[in-house]
Amino acid sequence: MYQEVNGKKVFASTGGKPFQKDQPVVLFMAGSGLDHTFWGLHSRFFAFRKYSVLCLDLPGHTNSEGPPLKSIEEMGAWINDVVTELNAKDISVVGHSQGCLVTMEYVSRFPEKVKSLSLIASGYETPVNDYLLNAAKNEPEKAVAKMMAWGFGVAGHLHQGRIPGNSMLVGGSKVMSGNTPNELYTDLNACNNYKGGKEAANNISVPCQLILAGKDQMAPRKLTTALADALPDSRELTMIEESGHMLPLEVPNKCRDLLKTFIFSKNPAG
Amino acid sequence: MSDFLSFDTLSLHSGQTVDSEFGSRAQPIHQTTSYVFSDTDTASSLFNLERGGHVYNRISNPTIGVLEQRVASLEGGSAAVCMASGMSAVFCALTALVSQGDHIVASANMYGGNISLLKNTLPRFGITATFVNPTDIKEIESAIQENTKVVFGELIGNPGLSVMDLEAVSKVCKKKHVPLMIDGTFNTPYLCRCFDHGANIIVHSLTKWMGGHGTSIGGIVVDGGNFDWGLNDQFPTMTEPYAPFTDINFWEEFGPSAFATRIRAEAMRDIGPSMSPMNAFLLLQGIETLSLRMDKHLSNTKDLLEYLTGHDQVSWVNHPDLPDHESNKTARKYMPKGAGSIITFGVKGGKEAGRAFIENVKLASHLANVGDAKTLIIHPATTTHSRIDAEALVAAGITEDMIRISVGIEDVSDIKDDFNTGFRAAKKYS
Repeated sequence: MYQEVNGKKVFASTGGKPFQKDQPVVLFMAGSGLDHTFWGLHSRFFAFRKYSVLCLDLPGHTNSEGPPLKSIEEMGAWINDVVTELNAKDISVVGHSQGCLVTMEYVSRFPEKVKSLSLIASGYETPVNDYLLNAAKNEPEKAVAKMMAWGFGVAGHLHQGRIPGNSMLVGGSKVMSGNTPNELYTDLNACNNYKGGKEAANNISVPCQLILAGKDQMAPRKLTTALADALPDSRELTMIEESGHMLPLEVPNKCRDLLKTFIFSKNPAG
Repeated sequence: MSDFLSFDTLSLHSGQTVDSEFGSRAQPIHQTTSYVFSDTDTASSLFNLERGGHVYNRISNPTIGVLEQRVASLEGGSAAVCMASGMSAVFCALTALVSQGDHIVASANMYGGNISLLKNTLPRFGITATFVNPTDIKEIESAIQENTKVVFGELIGNPGLSVMDLEAVSKVCKKKHVPLMIDGTFNTPYLCRCFDHGANIIVHSLTKWMGGHGTSIGGIVVDGGNFDWGLNDQFPTMTEPYAPFTDINFWEEFGPSAFATRIRAEAMRDIGPSMSPMNAFLLLQGIETLSLRMDKHLSNTKDLLEYLTGHDQVSWVNHPDLPDHESNKTARKYMPKGAGSIITFGVKGGKEAGRAFIENVKLASHLANVGDAKTLIIHPATTTHSRIDAEALVAAGITEDMIRISVGIEDVSDIKDDFNTGFRAAKKYS
């Protein structure tokens, strides 16, 4: 669905059911250069269980009008603008990678409507090396290739996946390629510049879960451990050892089961 | 070190998860009709496309799924759907886009089955086609109408062997915002990955070089994931709610695999041209050696081209790798390893000489197939293209004296000896 927010057209996939503001909401935010399709194996599940689903395309990404937002702080505030415009309430927020930084920023500053926060495969900061930043700006094909090469574990590189006939690696690269060069570069630059993650994590006041990947090359264990330490002690932590960074795609059933158990308990639907 | 696995490695491994219970190294054949659900919630999730998995064999199967992911990986596609045959793949790919009143621009130089589908069958359902010279870019552009939903051709035309300039045609398709669908049967992804040059959909008869052993019929549609179905309202099958699946919007929910998902959700369910799991296993065995076989096909083809062009009973030889072929420059651009292993030639003495040649060779098999490991020959005008009219024969580049060879991987000296026998029999007509 499309919604005008701050005078710009914003797209959100709603998981196959119309958004209804009187239902609890599950809001998904994907990582750098990606979009709503990243959550295809999760969004329909919640949409058909009495949740209103919002898989948002950040400004400038895929179906949402640009320009892309330049900082994680702006993106966090933008989420608040979107949910305010939609009169959404009782929101379970789910972020992956850069989406974790954005959703932590949002939830730490605007916790009033939020019931829970699920963070997948991230630290509280995401330093990006110069090679990747330069490639994203000047040679986006190389940047996308590196993101895919590092992002996926063995299953991705072998073009396996739970959806019959689908290559999650190629699908991911097509989506990301469609969001180059400006969007991907702006996203990576925003990640690299973001320094407020520790404070945001410290300030999370809603129930929180952290799902990590044992073979994550994009968010190495040192960074994810630091995030786990910075979040409130009440956070639930699960490590899926066999997965790479693209955990919601690589081990979708395990990921969905964890989200289901957590969200159903913290933000039950009718 | 490369970021990604190479073609040869993917040919052997992609798509397959080694069986965790018994450790089977080869891909198991899941010869079953259906799959036990662990609970009712999982069952309803599978039916509602909320999770990946298998419900019923008409829709998907684990062995076939490996084949689909393997071919998708080799082509660089985002998703693929296997079918019972190449023709069912063509039919399901086209009908995922076209409805009554819609239009297709198609190469006139294609396999006779494709021509017949477009010329005879689809018009009965109100779907029309304009046939064009696949090497004439202006003709292709001018044939595209407001209701055109797809431009369809073969990279290497069968049996005329003209080669389509993919990038030039793709440019026209992009300008008109119409997807380009390529039948890649004759080239295989080993010789050319058509998505890299602008194609949006690829179909294959897997029966041919991909399987490579003449054992199993099969087809596949590969989704390039590189066409913006939502740019305008021209592709309602992709962008409008689909009632049978709770008003699903394929483009919105599945993005780069929307086209393949539409085919699986609609065509596999409502039409049901399912591949058998056994065939999928055999085709996978073939793909494991695709590059090795293709190299041998190509080297034998090169030798036979020299042999035939120097033979005094041969009136003409046609192959895109020949320097004087009209598509030679295009073929070298898109298929630098070689433009496939189909050769057509004319025997001096016309139809009767051709008949004598075909009836006297012993090693080469006279049959209606191509892409077998074994050398095959046929007379297209009286067999594969016998049901199309004289005008279409000319458009397809077929003459009465034409013999088509699908060059196998035998020792090439034995193929030449066999052909010498055929030429001796044909000599009395020359």
